[in-house]
Amino acid sequence: MSDCVIGIVGKDYVLLAADATAAFSIILMKDNEDKILKLDDNKLLAASGEAGDRVQFTEYIQKNLSLYKFRNDRALSTHGAAHFLRGELATALRKNPYQVNMLLAGYDKEIGGSLYYVDYLASMQKVPFGAHGYGSYFVWSILDKYAHLDMDLDEGIDVLNKCIAEVQKRLLLSTPRFIVKVVDKNGTREVSLDNSERAKIQQDKMDA
Amino acid sequence: MSLSFLDKSYNAFHDDQSFEEANSNTLTLYKEPGLVVPPTFNNAGFRDQSHEIAKKFAKGTTTLGFVFNKGIVIAVDSRASMGNYISSQNVKKVIEINPYLLGTMAGGAADCQFWERYLGMQCRLYELRNKRRITVSAASKLLVNIMYSYKGYGLSMGTMVAGWDHTGPNLFMVDNDGTRLKGNRFSVGSGSMFAYGVLDSGYRPDLTEEQACELGRRAIYHATHRDSMSGGIINVYLIREDGWHKISSTDMDHLHWNYVEDKKKEIADRNKL
Amino acid sequence: MSILEYNGGAVVAMLGKNCVAVASDLRYGIKNTTVGCQMRKAYPIHQKCLLGMAGLATDVQTFLEKMKFRVNMYKLREDRDIKPSSFGNMVSSALYENRFGPMFLEPVIAGLEGDDNTPFISSTDLIGAQCFTDNFVVVGTASEALYGMCESLWKPEMEPEDLFEVISQCLMASVDRDCNSGWGGIVYILTPDKLITKELKGRQD
Repeated sequence: MSDCVIGIVGKDYVLLAADATAAFSIILMKDNEDKILKLDDNKLLAASGEAGDRVQFTEYIQKNLSLYKFRNDRALSTHGAAHFLRGELATALRKNPYQVNMLLAGYDKEIGGSLYYVDYLASMQKVPFGAHGYGSYFVWSILDKYAHLDMDLDEGIDVLNKCIAEVQKRLLLSTPRFIVKVVDKNGTREVSLDNSERAKIQQDKMDA
Repeated sequence: MSLSFLDKSYNAFHDDQSFEEANSNTLTLYKEPGLVVPPTFNNAGFRDQSHEIAKKFAKGTTTLGFVFNKGIVIAVDSRASMGNYISSQNVKKVIEINPYLLGTMAGGAADCQFWERYLGMQCRLYELRNKRRITVSAASKLLVNIMYSYKGYGLSMGTMVAGWDHTGPNLFMVDNDGTRLKGNRFSVGSGSMFAYGVLDSGYRPDLTEEQACELGRRAIYHATHRDSMSGGIINVYLIREDGWHKISSTDMDHLHWNYVEDKKKEIADRNKL
Repeated sequence: MSILEYNGGAVVAMLGKNCVAVASDLRYGIKNTTVGCQMRKAYPIHQKCLLGMAGLATDVQTFLEKMKFRVNMYKLREDRDIKPSSFGNMVSSALYENRFGPMFLEPVIAGLEGDDNTPFISSTDLIGAQCFTDNFVVVGTASEALYGMCESLWKPEMEPEDLFEVISQCLMASVDRDCNSGWGGIVYILTPDKLITKELKGRQD
């Protein structure tokens, strides 16, 4: 719950942001942990939750989606992938549940950008924006007020900046860094939150 | 079901101390306005039950207050709930202590209403005794002292005391565990995180009175939309040098559809350019 | 808090003259936070049958998929749509399959049966105990208020227009007394020749 992920659908793109902290007990182990997994060329999955579960489940989904593509010579739509993901999580729920909350973002040619909100109980809802974790309480109202489906990328990042600033201001738990990725018709890529160097990808990794 | 709670209170009364001792204890525990405090702490059975019942009457709430260059804005919702049941959508959560002082209600309705009325009485007595108005700082200190003296008794209050005194605009947050914070931006209640989101991102000290009231209203509106325990009507007060003024009382549902329209228009206008 | 109340939501089904109606709210929440306001909790199963569900959202979604699958298999085997009362039995036994680790949802079933389109409604508890009525059934977090509203507004032999009015008023008045349901509603009216869907604008708090 201490980690925070945010997703926003804009005009022909979906933005995902996730804090980059990896915590163990009261220790900050890492400040560049990437919690946004690239599922395929036009799908991103941001996840928050218990560290082991998060990596295991998201990678399981990623590998199975690529297996599907390999077998059928055709990738699942974002909608299809979301339902696959939910189904797997729901099946696991009554056996060996994964403690992981997710936002699935995708871009489909015919539909455009879409965002699916999935919680650890495997309930799913298509949303225009969403957030998980304690930070989410602070950003829902900001998203309600500022976000809309007609935003260009710069506006979307402005809204995201407002959200992150609020989380960093009000949430007791420290989230010094966020990783932001976008998915649009050109595929997926990391973007910078900084206005002046938005094009430049952040390089300041803590260690190799 | 056995009546074990009866046994417990019986034992507690007779094992720990004599009747006289317990009675003398009663006297020392009488608080200012003549409240009857239970004679011993150990009547566990009844106390646990009454605590549970009192908790059911605690309301989900969103209240906020902030200081800006022209004064203080106080905005609140109006929902009262018992568990998930909405018992009222028309609660007055701003308590008008005197023409210069406002208190807000979050937590237990009875606790807030009673103690803020009591605070009003104490403030008036202060005026009569000292021939001058009490400062906001002193008023909030009176309240927090009561809160602290009842610590552990299960009071439930999260309140802001706001007003204008000879030092200017002042805003304090007081709660039932004896916290008293001076500040210029607070939100209290189950929807406070939602309100903070809008409040922090829209706040500037140089807002006009209209802008400030709208910011307060908007922050509460967003909280009522996302927090299921908050809702109803949004009341906005403005405190200036000449005391408080009630600015507006608007149904959040009307606001919602207006804001939806505004957003649509804004997007349409922008796309025309 | 009961796990049945985790996501919130309210569903009501009513019986009219040769017609039935199912209405639900649209909120999807996690405890006291509203996450979305587009979650319909009633679904057309086929031309003459509706299924409404309230409870834990994940189980509602899982169960809906399971029932869609079974109804499709039924149709392939029998070459006809399942009767609403048979569908009620199917739902009931599907829920009882999980007797010792239940799905946390309460379904309502409404439909028109046979050549003369006899209206049918029923509901079950979370492990499949069926309950048949000839007036209305309610489930979800607003069920207490819904009972009160339905008891006072429902009357026998309502035409589709009246049924829509009554079920809408019942739903909207009830969810306004419940924290965890509301944010708009949806009504399905099933008549012998068509399924009418109407969205209701509701309070957003």
